[in-house]
Amino acid sequence: MGLNTKVLAAAAALILLALAAAFLAFRGGGQDEIVIQGGGSTFAAPQVYEWARGFSSKYPEIKVNYASVGSGSGVAQFLEGTLDFASSDPPLDKSQWSKLEGEVLQMPVLLGAVSIVYNLPGLNEELRLNGETLALIYLGEISYWNDERIARLNPDIDLPEEQIIVVYRSDSSGTTQVFTYYLYKSSGGLWPESLVGKTIDWPVAKTGRGIGGKGNEGVTQVVKNTPYSIGYVELSYALENQLPMALLENREGNFVKPAEETIASAALNALKELPDNPLDDWSPALDSIIYTEGENSYPLTSFTFFIFRTKYSDEKIEAIKLWIEYINTEGQDRMIPGYIPIPKEIASINLKALEIISRG
Amino acid sequence: MAEPRHDKLFYYTLLPFASTSLAIVLLLASILAVNSLPAIERYGLSLLTRNVWSPVELDPEASDYGLLAPLLGTLVTATIATMASIPIAASLVYVSEEVLPARMLRVRSAISILVDVMAGMPTIVYGLWGALVLAPLLLNYVYQPLNKYFGFIPLFACSPYTGLNILTASLLLSIMITPFVFAVVRESYTQIPLSYREASLSLGTTKYEHFRIMLGIIKPSLIAGALLGFGRAASETVAVTLVVGNAFNLPYCLLSPGYTVSALIANQFNNAPLYPYMESVLLFSGAILLLLGLVSNLAGLIMLSRVKARV
Repeated sequence: MGLNTKVLAAAAALILLALAAAFLAFRGGGQDEIVIQGGGSTFAAPQVYEWARGFSSKYPEIKVNYASVGSGSGVAQFLEGTLDFASSDPPLDKSQWSKLEGEVLQMPVLLGAVSIVYNLPGLNEELRLNGETLALIYLGEISYWNDERIARLNPDIDLPEEQIIVVYRSDSSGTTQVFTYYLYKSSGGLWPESLVGKTIDWPVAKTGRGIGGKGNEGVTQVVKNTPYSIGYVELSYALENQLPMALLENREGNFVKPAEETIASAALNALKELPDNPLDDWSPALDSIIYTEGENSYPLTSFTFFIFRTKYSDEKIEAIKLWIEYINTEGQDRMIPGYIPIPKEIASINLKALEIISRG
Repeated sequence: MAEPRHDKLFYYTLLPFASTSLAIVLLLASILAVNSLPAIERYGLSLLTRNVWSPVELDPEASDYGLLAPLLGTLVTATIATMASIPIAASLVYVSEEVLPARMLRVRSAISILVDVMAGMPTIVYGLWGALVLAPLLLNYVYQPLNKYFGFIPLFACSPYTGLNILTASLLLSIMITPFVFAVVRESYTQIPLSYREASLSLGTTKYEHFRIMLGIIKPSLIAGALLGFGRAASETVAVTLVVGNAFNLPYCLLSPGYTVSALIANQFNNAPLYPYMESVLLFSGAILLLLGLVSNLAGLIMLSRVKARV
């Protein structure tokens, strides 16, 4: 009897102790530290971590936390007030923005590109594709690699007589939105507007030749391991895994590869149609950068936005301003492979935010 | 006689924890039920009978869902997995209990430890192995010949373009649930009284006949193992997501990519709040999974209690 009671008492004491320790650990720690809490885009996450590292070594008293929860959840949490800033691949849409006009600031902080990757064993030349053929492939209407419509773009390549395995994202993703918007805009009406979105009903899935991969890593892995497949992933994944990338036909009819110059060129051309103030409505940004003008512009380019409030509390305001300044100046020189810095013109627009943010 | 005081104390300290787990299950079921109501009201039975997945942000009118492909995918993969795992588990039992002589106790326990380790392995490990090793192997050495020589059977009629399909998911699942089926069957097998064994052997049965008779005695536990395995296979998520192909494609043919309910939830739940009704549709599919698991597990447990009555 005595033993049982003792064991029980000891267990209870241990649990209490653990709870107390957890409570203390949670409350204590970082009293003097200012914490900026951000979250959103999974695509931007590696770059934001890199910035946070650089920022913290410059300003040790400020800590930037970033939760890679997806653009949608990031914006939702920001609007609820739990985050100090959100990161989102698409900007706020028009209806969201008009409700919040004057309360939020949006700024494109980095450029990304979606690359078309493929697995064609034995092929050394670079494949050329355009919006129409890609739309037909993802609609399931082009089913063989040696289809005449692909062959016409690649007269020098001996294309295999094999079925195309079409890989797409099975989860909801900004990458899918950028890709489907590109198909819609560049395919001359072949790709319907109803099939533009973060997660869509892929027509090719019903042919039995479609495979969904979860996340960029999922698509990468499927393409890598499936001969005669094609897929779309963020540029950094294609680079890291050394997957061959297709040249895409841009609006001017040139075939271009995703690279720093071609992506920056798309951003500069899009700039003409974009607002010149972080307070403005940035919702047309996706439309203006995808399949934009410019001899050398890569058509599948996109922005990633940071979203801030116009008012911050006394304790945070200075830290937030330093963070914004850092991202748009030094941060742009600290890009990791696959992430492209924004042109100087955009950075100077973004820095206007420093004048706008006020206490409150 | 009054209970000693500390026993009562013991009882009252443990009561909240014990009842919490029960309460959590009930709460879970009711939350799933309540949250799937909007989807049921909006789409009704057509949620179960159509194959559509076209969510549209901010537009409840245009968003449309039908879960037929993942539902059938779950049933098909779990059924094939179960059917394949029973013979594997039964032969493992035969090897460890009949082939190996009783004095090789260490080898016997090594087998059962090994199988336990298999059961405890993280499912992502199975998934990665399935996607990187099993799928390409099956594609080259099984599916292509299967389609070539047995293509007249509708289940193998579609040409296998990829190893990521319904059949790979089923076979991977069968490997994953075998330890559970094995544990159930072996447990009952070792409980068969010695007198039964001796009776069977004294009739001069061959080894095969003997094993048949022994299995006959514990038949309900085979069924129980199958049902428990089915429950596990139907709810397995991580590994299946990696090998099933994640395509909204009805599983008429086992060699084409498909979907399962749990894979669908894993893929889509993160951003579901962005789309009208999607959360509710996914929770509804979760409720169906829960129901499926509940029924197969209950049936399995009932079967097990029958074995206990027999031996």
